[in-house]
Parts: sequence; structure tokens; C-alpha cells
Amino acid sequence: MSFRIRLLLPLLALFVVAVGYPLAFSFYISLTNYKITNRFDVKFSGLDRYADALHDSAYWSALTVTFTFVLIAVFLELALGLCIALALQRQKRVRDFTRSFLLSPMFITPIAVGLMFRFLLNQQLGVIPTLLSRFGISYDFFGPGRAFFSIVLIDVWQWTPFMVLLLLAGLESLPRQPFEAARIDGASTFYTFRRVTLPMLSSVLVVAILIRGLDALKVFEYVYAITRGGPGTETQTIQYYVYNTGITFFRLASASAMAYGLLAVVMFLVILLFRRVERARRS
Amino acid sequence: MNRSFIRQVLVASSVVAALTITAACSGGSTSTKPLSSPSGNGDVAKTVSGDVHVLMEGVPDTDIVKGLLPEFNKVYPNVHVSIESLVYDQIRDKIVASFTAPKATYNLAIIDNPWMGDFAKAGFLKPLDAYVKTTPGYEYQDFAQPLRDIGTVNGKIYGVPFYNYGLGLIYRKDQMPQPPRTLADLAAQAAKLNTPSEAGIAMQPQRGYKAFEEWGNYLFAAGGSIYGSDGKVHLNTPEAKTALNTYTKMYNASAPTNSPNWAFDGALRSVSSGKSAMMVSSNWMLPTLNKKGGPAGALTGKFELAPMPGDKQVLGLWDWAVPANSETSDADWAFISWLTSKAGEKQRVIAGGAPTRNSVLTDTEVAQKGFGAGYYSTVGKILANSSPLCRGANCDEMIQAVGTELNAAIAGKKSVDDALTAAETQANKIQSS
Amino acid sequence: MKAPTRGDADGSGLVSHGPWAILGKLLIAAGFVVVAMPLLWVLLGSFKTGAQLNDPTVLTFTPTLENWNTVVSSGILTAAGRSVIVGVITVTLSVLVGSMGAYSISRYKTGGSATRFGILAAQVLPPAVLVFPFLALAYDFQLNDTLAAVIAAHLSFVLPVVCWFLIGFFDAVPIALEEQAMIDGLGRFAAFRKVVIPQVAPGVGAAAIFGFVLSWNDLFYALILAPGNSATLPVRIAGFNTFRGVELGAMCAAILVSVVPVLTATFFVQRRLVRGISGGAVKF
Repeated sequence: MSFRIRLLLPLLALFVVAVGYPLAFSFYISLTNYKITNRFDVKFSGLDRYADALHDSAYWSALTVTFTFVLIAVFLELALGLCIALALQRQKRVRDFTRSFLLSPMFITPIAVGLMFRFLLNQQLGVIPTLLSRFGISYDFFGPGRAFFSIVLIDVWQWTPFMVLLLLAGLESLPRQPFEAARIDGASTFYTFRRVTLPMLSSVLVVAILIRGLDALKVFEYVYAITRGGPGTETQTIQYYVYNTGITFFRLASASAMAYGLLAVVMFLVILLFRRVERARRS
Repeated sequence: MNRSFIRQVLVASSVVAALTITAACSGGSTSTKPLSSPSGNGDVAKTVSGDVHVLMEGVPDTDIVKGLLPEFNKVYPNVHVSIESLVYDQIRDKIVASFTAPKATYNLAIIDNPWMGDFAKAGFLKPLDAYVKTTPGYEYQDFAQPLRDIGTVNGKIYGVPFYNYGLGLIYRKDQMPQPPRTLADLAAQAAKLNTPSEAGIAMQPQRGYKAFEEWGNYLFAAGGSIYGSDGKVHLNTPEAKTALNTYTKMYNASAPTNSPNWAFDGALRSVSSGKSAMMVSSNWMLPTLNKKGGPAGALTGKFELAPMPGDKQVLGLWDWAVPANSETSDADWAFISWLTSKAGEKQRVIAGGAPTRNSVLTDTEVAQKGFGAGYYSTVGKILANSSPLCRGANCDEMIQAVGTELNAAIAGKKSVDDALTAAETQANKIQSS
Repeated sequence: MKAPTRGDADGSGLVSHGPWAILGKLLIAAGFVVVAMPLLWVLLGSFKTGAQLNDPTVLTFTPTLENWNTVVSSGILTAAGRSVIVGVITVTLSVLVGSMGAYSISRYKTGGSATRFGILAAQVLPPAVLVFPFLALAYDFQLNDTLAAVIAAHLSFVLPVVCWFLIGFFDAVPIALEEQAMIDGLGRFAAFRKVVIPQVAPGVGAAAIFGFVLSWNDLFYALILAPGNSATLPVRIAGFNTFRGVELGAMCAAILVSVVPVLTATFFVQRRLVRGISGGAVKF
């Protein structure tokens, strides 16, 4: 066996066990009427579960909620993260402490962050609503029309540091010469940023958006800890909906089909992205 | 697309296909047939031995049961009961995992009433009829009728009552000398007591279970019911519409501001700190509120419990059950029968537990050492005419679906008619699948 | 040639004076406040009693240690220890196996773009679907409610991420280095081990830290696969969400138990993290 295959084999083996088998099993389940409460009475039902999912308005609503969430949250995190990364890069003093402090939210386990904010923003117990009411503002953070944005804010609080990390790494790896040249040519800070920094940073930006976006699709803990999908179905993200369907309502076959539907949509988007980047790289 | 890419895709697809076939063959190969047959004899010998491991919720009644274990061991010295306590959310998934395992992690279980239908149908639980019939002095009929109905599925007994959480109206007797007797009365009283510093009524319209649980009482008060005589869910009725309209109006007029997501603790906090005048809550919250050193602080002792207007309430119940894959059935039943016997329950209720037996509710010693005859007689009234939210299969999902629609109506996102129609359609679809 | 602008002594083009610099400093200060406030609230809350926590307007109070007692005796440190074990084993396996595989994919283009896609796909599937096969397998091997089951499940999302990063790092290593080593007489694997690996070591460190954080943060798999005796830290923290509402004081103490060690660790680790990632992972 050739060298390269031998190198790849352990990885392949682990992949099959840890990823491949569960994936295949879920695919099999999605073609049946599997429920946790009828494990020994499983009947093959072809693409029925997929058809059910397509006709389920809650499924589409969950997808919409999730994708909207990802778009808004990742955009905010990118914008804020870039600004903070630029600012951190310039900082000369107390660098280590500042950086580790500002990066800390991403290392806190998300359920803890969710519970923390649940009570920070709680109408009766929370410090923030109390402060706001001192200024005469009565804002129900988890009320109708608002819970979604509160969840976005919590995500931004926790994951902007992640973006900062990636972008900072990217910024520090950029070569100095173009900046030298720009400075010598008398370019303004903004011009330098737009014409020099951003283009060189583009591949980093793509990776950051990709990784954070894929992760944001899985948002679950905040919904689980605080809103449980409510009010109505405003914060019912796809991960939470699939969890509810499969684990709470026992309907694993439907849950698997829904998850595969999500996978199809995302892979489609990712392939598009890949193609575009490949094309850009070749040109 | 070039040939190399096509070749890679073919390789990948055949790998996936191979794995899928393997998965299909191996899935469902574990069988969980019960390994030992129970004696079925309820008169369990005092020398029976076993390690009984049970998962319970972290609630007051669990602590009380833990406290009673030494007494139990005086009668059955060789049965070791270990109680693990967890949050509600985590219990069901864990016991389901135990039920479906080759070897039971929990060989005794407590089952919440919405799960009873599904678990019994799935074969997770052992029928207890033989035990119940042959236990001397057990008097199964002593349990309130609605409670017995919950534990009986398809004519067989799968669970015996542990503690109830039927709902009632908890209010301040210093602010409202007489409890309301009709739904309209309730709305009027709440509006009257509603002031800028104190809301008329703390409501719990949280999407899902809580909304349905609370609103169910309003439905009953309006003379309605959840199921029709054909066994199907009927919510598109005039009574339901009245109930939902009243509920929504009361929420807008007399509930605390910004409380559309409130559940149990939101309402409790509000009432115990004097920010609301009343709430619909579990009947055993009354002793907690009136307890010295409890959450009510300065308001301790000022609360009273009354049946809901219309005298029909929503019922919640936890049952004891023996898992099908338990290997210690006799020891399990020894514990269950001791704890839920007349004497056992009396001890539990005196220690503060929520009652389920009629004899205990009318026992003078219990009244004396417990929370007073008035409280127990009210609880007795509540239990006698109460009904759970759901019967049959897929209850968790049905309750979620109805509760979601109700919450949408309360939040003003759907009209009352639309919400009730949608709730009815979905509930029937879910329960028939 | 112009003299360097004041404050731009290293010629990096970055100035630390002027309007943008001030904006930058303000932003960092704001960041501090935003990050610190919830953490401060949690810190104070861990010393408050239940009654004090119920009232958000309390400003001064006498601290109590009862929450800390509750938390320490609730086994949260053991749970944290289990999280560490799971994370370390998962990451070690991922790095060992992943580095070899990633090298093969990067250097020899094994499997072409299909392998790269496959790795990406593995990160996208919602855990809710993968968990039941893991549960079924765990029962079949009598591994339910053990850390082994959690480790296997964590591998499913840590392995792809680590591989992804490592492929990027290996891509950035110039092939000339290995060619030189082989001319000097080293075999292929020795060249890989002795020449290439040291080049990507900081990157491997960064990927390891990433993978560890992913495993450390996971609630979902741990909740379902090891909810009882082998509970990890997130599961324990979720357990404070009790029937009586959240036990706020104890929850605050528990959160701090999970945050403080991490904060300390990031202090030492962040420089390496930044350097490691910038070394090549973030190129596409």
C-alpha cells in the first residue's frame, strides 16, 4: 500500500467509526418510521419522512429562523470582530491581559452563558431591566418580537471573541511591505484599510465566516436554557426543533429526515462558496 | 466534471451505501425481553432483597421520600433503595435510555402522566395488576378515581399514584374574602385587584406545557372539555373560545407587565413578593407559601387555596412504575406498596407530601399534624373532579402543539379561532399517528 | 524617504495616536465593560443569598459562602475533571490521527476534493441526529453512561475541525523542506516527523486548543450519552436549572468554577493561539 494511503488509513478508520457509521444509521432511520417507543416494530417507508418535513410549516419556519439568525449574528460578529481585532493589533501595552480577557467569553460553556443571560435580562430578577427602568425604559428582552434579537445578542457576546481571534491571527500574519508602501505613498488610514488590509485579509474572512456560520447553524444551548423556542416559534431554531422532534417526541425518523434536509441546503451553499473561491484563486 | 471527480464520488457513494446496509442490519438487534419473571405476588416477603435504583425529580416530595427510607428499611431490611434526583428535563430521556437498554440503570421509575400512554404502549413498563390485587390491605380503590384512570392503560394498571399536582386557585385571603365561583367572576375580581403596584393575577402563558396547563382550567371553568365523547380532541367549541378570549383579556388587563413567558417560578416570585394578588398553581404550593421561613416572607400565612371556578381542574400526577427490564420487581413492589399504602402515604403527607388517597385526605390525625383539615378537604374536592390534559399516545407532543397555539393567541399573533382550530387539528393528527 | 510617523517606530503602518487610535482604545474599553459585566454579576451573585438575588436593586450586602459550599459538595469539580479528561483524549486522538491524514491529503492530494468536502460535511450535521446511533452503539458495547461514549461522540465533531486546520497548516509548509530532508537521506515518514511537524507545531497547538474548547463546551452529547455518573461540566451546570427555578447562587458559583481556570489558561495560551493560527490555518 502506498505511503499516502497508509498515512490516511487511521484517519479514515476513525472517521468511519465516529462519523460515517452514525451518518449512515441516521440515513437509514430517516427512511423508516423509527420511534424510540417502537424500536422493534420498524417499517421501511421510503421518502415519506422527507415528504412530511417538506409539508411541515414548522420545519420551514425553523430553517428561516436559523438562517436569519446566522446571517445577522455572523455579520455583527464579523463587523465588531474586525474593529476589535484592528484595535487590539495597535495596542502596545498590557496586551496579553487585554487579549485573554476579551477572548474569554468564547471559552465559557454555552449553557452557562445562556443561563447567565437568562437571569441578567430577566424581567423580575435581572440587573439590566432594572437599570433600564431607572431610565424609564420598559423592555422585555424575551417578549414577542424581541426574544430573537436577545438570542442574537447573546451569541454576539459569546462568539465575537472567536472572530477577533481568527481575524487578529490573520492580521498579524499579513506582510508588512504593502503597508509600508501605502504609508510612504501618504495613504490615509481608511484608504489603507479598504485597499490594502481587506483584500489581503479576504481569505481569512472567508474562513472565519465559514467556520462561524457553520457553528451558528447549530445554535441550541441558548434556546434550550432560555426561550424553549418561544414566544410562539420565534426562536425555534432547527437544531432545537430537531431535538424536540427526535428526543422529546420520540420521532427519530422524522428528525433524521429534517437534519438531512438541512445538510443538503448547507452543502449546496458550501459548494457554491468553494467554487467561487477556487475560481478566484485560479485567476 | 472530470473523471477523477466522478470516480471519487462513486467511491464515496459505495462507502455510504455499505455503511447504510450495515446499519440497517444491526439496528434494532438488541432485544430487551425481561430477564426474570416477577412473582406477581403482592404479599412480598419481608426478607426480599434487592438494590433498587430510582430517578426522581428534585422536588419537596422526593426529599420527603428520602427521609422515609429508614422507616421502610425497618420493615424490609434487605432492600436498598438509592434515589438519584435530577431536573425534570433530564429525567425522561434518562429513564427512556434505561428502559431501552439491555440492562436497566433504573429498576424502579416514577412516570409523569403525559408519558404513561406512550411508555405502556411501547412495552417499557410491567403491568401491576397481579401485585395490586394480591397485596393485603392495599385498597386500590382508595385512590381518587381520576388518579387511578391515569395509571390504567388499555385496562391494565401500569402505575400507582405517587403524588399529585392538581391545580387550584391560590389567592390572598386578606384581599379577597370569597373566592370567585364563575369564570366571569374570576376575571372581574382580577380586574378589581389590579393596581399599579400589584397585578390582579400572575399568569403563566409560557409557550407549550405551561400555557395549556393553566388555560385548561379556564376551559373547564367555561364548561368545556378537551376531549369529546368520540375520544378526539375538540377545541373548536364555543366554550373553548370563551375560555381563550377571557384568558387573553385577563392577561392584557390584569397580569403583570412583560410576563408572556412566565412559568412556574415567575408567578411564584410575583405572588410571594406581593406583586400579584393570585395565581393558578399546584395545590401543594399553599403549604409552601404559608410556611414560616418560606418564600413568602412577610406575607406568610395570608394565602388560601380554592378550587377553580366551575369546580373542575387540570390534573397532574406522578406514578410509581416497574420497568419491564427491571430484575428486582419484587423488591420494587415491596417499596412501592409500603410507600403508597394507607399507612405509608399518611406518613408522607404528614411530612408535607401531596396526597392521593381519599382516606388520607379525611384522616383527622393527618389534618392535625399536617396543614389543617380545610386544606385537605379543598385538595380532596380538587382531585375528585379533575382531568389531565392528555390521554393516550404522543401526549408530550400534543401538549406542546396546543400550548404553542395558545401562546400565539395570547401574544396576539393569531386570532382565537385560528389558534383553536390549529390546536385541534394538530392535536388529533399527533395523537392518531 | 519620509521620517517614520511618530508612534510608528516599527514601520508597521499602525499608528497609536490620532482619531482612529482613540476610537480603537474606546472600543477596547467598551469591550472590557461588555465582557466584564455579566462575569462581575456572576461573581457577586455567587456570594449572595437567595433572597438577595431575588432583588436586583440590592447594592451592598454581606457575602455568604453557602453557595460555594453547595457547589463544591455537589461534585462540580469532579465533573470539570471529567470534561478535561474527555477533551484531552479527544484532542490527542484527533491530532495524532488527524496530522497523518491531513498531511496525506495536503501533500499527496489523496482523495482529491472529495475528502476535503467530506470533512466539511461532518461539521454540518446537527448533533440531534447523530446522537441516537451513538446511544445504540453505546448500549451494544455496554458503554452507556461512560466517558468512552462521550469521547466517541466528541470525536465526530472535533476530528473534522482539527483535520481542517491541519490541512491548512500543511498546505502552507513549502515542499522544498521535505525534498531537502529526503535528499539528506531521511525516509518519507521520518521527513514528515522530523521536518514538517516542527514547522506546523504552533498551528497544531492552536488546533488542539480549538478542539479542546469544542469538546469542553459540548452539552448536547454529554447530556444524552452520559447524564448521570459520568456527567461532564456543562451537564452539571444545566442541572442547576431546577424545578424551583434556577438555583441562582449555586449556579453563579458553578459558572465561576468553569470560567476562572479557563480565563487563567487563556492568559498563557492566547499568544500561542494567535501565532499558531496566523501561521497558516487561516489561509483557504
